[in-house]
Parts: sequence; C-alpha cells; structure tokens
Amino acid sequence: MSTALIIATLTMREAVRRRLVAALAVITLGMVALSSWGFYKLSHSSSLTSGEKGLALPESFILFMFMFSFVVALSASAIASPAVSGEIDSGVLQTVLARPVRRGEVLLGKWLGLAALLAAYTAAVTGLQVAIVYLVSGYAPPNPAAAAALMFGEGTVLLTLVLLLSTRLSALAAGVVGVALFGAAWLVGVAGTLGVAFRVHSLHTAAVISQYLLPTNGLWNGAIYYLEPSSFITQAAAGSPSTEGPFFASAGPSWQYLTWAVIWLLLVGILGLVSLERREL
Amino acid sequence: MAALAGLSMTVERGEVFGFLGPNGSGKTTAVKLLLGLVRPSGGEAMVLGAPAGDRETRRQIGYLPELFRYQSWLNAREVLVLHCRLLRMPRARWQPAADEALHVVGLDGRGDDKVGTFSKGMQQRLGLGVALLGEPALVVLDEPTSALDPVGRHDVRTIIRGLRDSGVTVFLNTHLLEEAENVCDRVMVISKGRSLATGTLAELKGLRQNVRLRVTGLPAGWWEPLTSFGRWNAAGDWLSVEDMNAGQVPDLVAAIVALGGRVEAVVPEQQSLEERFLELLGETREGA
Repeated sequence: MSTALIIATLTMREAVRRRLVAALAVITLGMVALSSWGFYKLSHSSSLTSGEKGLALPESFILFMFMFSFVVALSASAIASPAVSGEIDSGVLQTVLARPVRRGEVLLGKWLGLAALLAAYTAAVTGLQVAIVYLVSGYAPPNPAAAAALMFGEGTVLLTLVLLLSTRLSALAAGVVGVALFGAAWLVGVAGTLGVAFRVHSLHTAAVISQYLLPTNGLWNGAIYYLEPSSFITQAAAGSPSTEGPFFASAGPSWQYLTWAVIWLLLVGILGLVSLERREL
Repeated sequence: MAALAGLSMTVERGEVFGFLGPNGSGKTTAVKLLLGLVRPSGGEAMVLGAPAGDRETRRQIGYLPELFRYQSWLNAREVLVLHCRLLRMPRARWQPAADEALHVVGLDGRGDDKVGTFSKGMQQRLGLGVALLGEPALVVLDEPTSALDPVGRHDVRTIIRGLRDSGVTVFLNTHLLEEAENVCDRVMVISKGRSLATGTLAELKGLRQNVRLRVTGLPAGWWEPLTSFGRWNAAGDWLSVEDMNAGQVPDLVAAIVALGGRVEAVVPEQQSLEERFLELLGETREGA
C-alpha cells in the first residue's frame, strides 16, 4: 500500500477513534429526526393550500440542506486545521516524516482520508434526509445525488484551503481563517443576489469574483439548483418574486465553473505541498 | 542567526557517538539536519554514504526524537505496526517485529494499551522501540532517557550497548555526562552550534591533569629542572603538579629519578568529564 493510502486510512481511523464520527452521527440523526417532525407537520397542515405546500416543502428542504452544507464545511475546517500544524506542534508528524516517506505523500494521504470522511458524511446525510422527507411528506428533490456531489465539492474546497493554511498557521488560526473566509464568501454571494434584485451591478460583480476566488458558495449555489423543483425555475423566469433570494439558483453550475473548481483544488493542493516541503520541522 | 556554524564531525560505523552540549547548543538541530527534517542554509552532511535527509537512506535510520509523541489514540502495537508499514517491511514481519520491539524496551504485556494512557517514561520506551524497528544501521537518540527513572536509564544503556555489539551505529544526543561516560566510544562537545572538543572520553578528559607524587631524597633546588612540567606545590613528602600534559607522567617520574629522588607513589588526578565539560564551556564564555 502506498504511503498516501497508509496515512489516509490512519486519518480515517483517527476520526473514528476520537469519536468524531460518532458525535457527528448522533447530532445528525437528531437534526434529521427534528426535520422529519417539521416536514410531517408542514405536509399535513390543513391551513396550507397545495400550492403553498409545493413552495414551502422544497424551500424547507433547501434550508435543511443548507444547514447540512454548513456542517460539512465547518467539519472540513475543524478536521483539517490540526491535521498538519497540530501534529507538528505535538511532534507526531516528525516521527512519521523521519521515515522513508515524502512529505507530499503524507499530506496527500491526510487529504484523501479527510475527503473520504466528508464524502461519506455528505452521502449519508443527503440520503437520510431525502429518505425521511419522502417518507413523511412524499416530497423528493429532483436530483439529490448531484446536489450531494456539489456539497461535497464545497466541503473539499474548504478542506483543501484549511490544510494549506495548516502547513503554516497554528491549528486555531488555520481553522478560524478558513471559517471566516467561508462565511465571507457566502455573504458576498448573498450580497450578489441583492445586487441582482436591486440592480447594483458592482455587488453582483463582487459575488462573481468571490465565487472564483473561493468556490465554496458557487458550488453551494449549484447544489441549490439540483434541489429545487423545475416549477421554481419557470416561476422565476415568469418573474415571480417568491422564488428570489439567497436560496434560489436560476441555473446549475457551468462545466467551465466546475473545471475551474477542480483547477482551484489542484492549485491550492500544490501550494500546500510546496509549503509543507519547505517547512522546517 | 545560524543555529550551527563550523560544525564538522565524522562518526565511524559501529560506534556509539555522544553529542554533548548544554541546552540550546544546537544538538537537536544537528540531528534534524541529519534526518532531513530541517534543511541547512549551507554546508554538507553525508549519512550512511548518502546526502543527509536522503529518503531511501532513512529506511536504515531509527530515530527517537527529543519530543517523543505518538498517536495517542492508537495502542502501542498499532504504533509499531504503522512504522513497520512506513518502513515497507513485509506484512508477515509486522507483528513479530512489533512484539520484539515491545519486549526489548520492556513493554511486554502493554502492547494493547492506548498510547494516550502511557506515562511519559513508557512513551519514551515506545519511542525507542519505534527507533529499533527494521534493523537500522544507524540509531539516532535525542535525549533518550529524559523521561526515565534510574531503572529505565539503566535499561536504555543496556540497549545501546547491545546495539553497538551488533554493529549498529548510535548517535546519542545528551546533556547527561554520566550517560556519555557510560556508553559512548567517542564524544563531541558543542556549544552555541560550534564544536569545542571531540575524541574518546579518555582523550577528552585526560589532556591536562594533576598528578600527586610522594617523593623522598630529592636534593635542594630540585624543582628548577622540573618547572616545565607544570605548576608545583609541595607539602612534606607530597608534591603535586597541576595542569600538566597527561602523556608526560612517565617523563616526569624519570626526571625525578634522574635527580636522585625515590618515587614512592604516583597518583594521577584525572579530571571528571563534568569538570572538563564545564571547563570547555567556560572557555567559550570567556572567548565570547
């Protein structure tokens, strides 16, 4: 087995042993259970018309998935921030790097292990949420698999960025900077939708630029598109104001944008490798 | 500022080489350079025939860091197996090698315990076990007994002697002079990143020494031909020569006999390593 795979399995084992997986599972099950109650009440409410339910169920579903995308992203930041600097500070990494291994292999292994955890979590939480909501309300989003893939992409972007930061900053600083940038990118995205609504073009431009600088919010917007029913798109095209806002996407991500996201991941990943390679331990 | 400057040394294969110096003298930096954990801003170092830090050569090097920390959420055996895997040992060797290492460092029966539950001394023993994996040609030990009780220290010294007996080179970083005196074939004393002295312990300790002699039958004015040996003091039959060249003791005795003196006792007062160590450090302080 290659060094990267040895480190990847070690990283996953750490997440299990340190009860990260168990803690996430418990809290997620709690949130899904809570949502099932809410979706049941919503879908069985006698005070809502079927048209209102057709709006409220998908909007609520998107909101819940937004919360889970936050959990994915913040978990990515939390697990990546100590992965390098924390282990350098404690001395654990030095014992590994004194072996006949490349630093790049170790970093790649950590990335692979953490990304696999994110993938498993995103798949599990999306599957669970879709299944529960369908069971209690009969509603199903059009393409949850594509949405989950984009949410995973969003988490992976933050994971890669924080791993890069972790090669230089302390665990605490890397995590805080990562979360702050993630939050800023989301807010700029919201400002961009306001810019479109109120025809302030500079706000819209800033949002577009930020989507390229840090593709977290751009990928989340793509996920929204795959979670909303086609009726939302046609209503928006007809000028209905009810579908506008930060939880609406009029189009899926372009292949150019997805390509850029992959290039971004590669660039930041390579920067991380170079940074660790040059770091004195 | 350079952590190390003008440091030049050669360690022979199969010897236990002590790298002695006070805290902050650059010992750990030197070791990290040899392992490729830090890169030199200048200079050259070869380890086992390859440039320092060479990845393949690290397969033959065992390392116990000064800051020994292992994955606290693994058990001791899992830590050892992880290092067997990183060393690319065949799978069939992982468990036997881990068991053997646990036995050698005195952790029999603790292999299935989480490292996080270990005392510092036990973690240091585990670190030594990790360093011994894969039949290394060179074992680098950075303050290997810093967390150990007297029994542990004795065990480590026995292990080091065992390594030397089986032809393994040991590079021992220590500020414990007793440790160096116990196990090292040769030592280098460094301070502020510079080498102060290097050689066998006998060489290092014995360059200058004091000698006490009991002599009778010396003529008056006897000391005049002998002043070149060192500073003389006399108290009755006992004479002492301070700060003389250790190699000249036979010459001194011959010169006294030639003067007609009867030498009844010669007591060399060899400097302890500690005295020599402090003296060397004192010289650099004065020189600084």
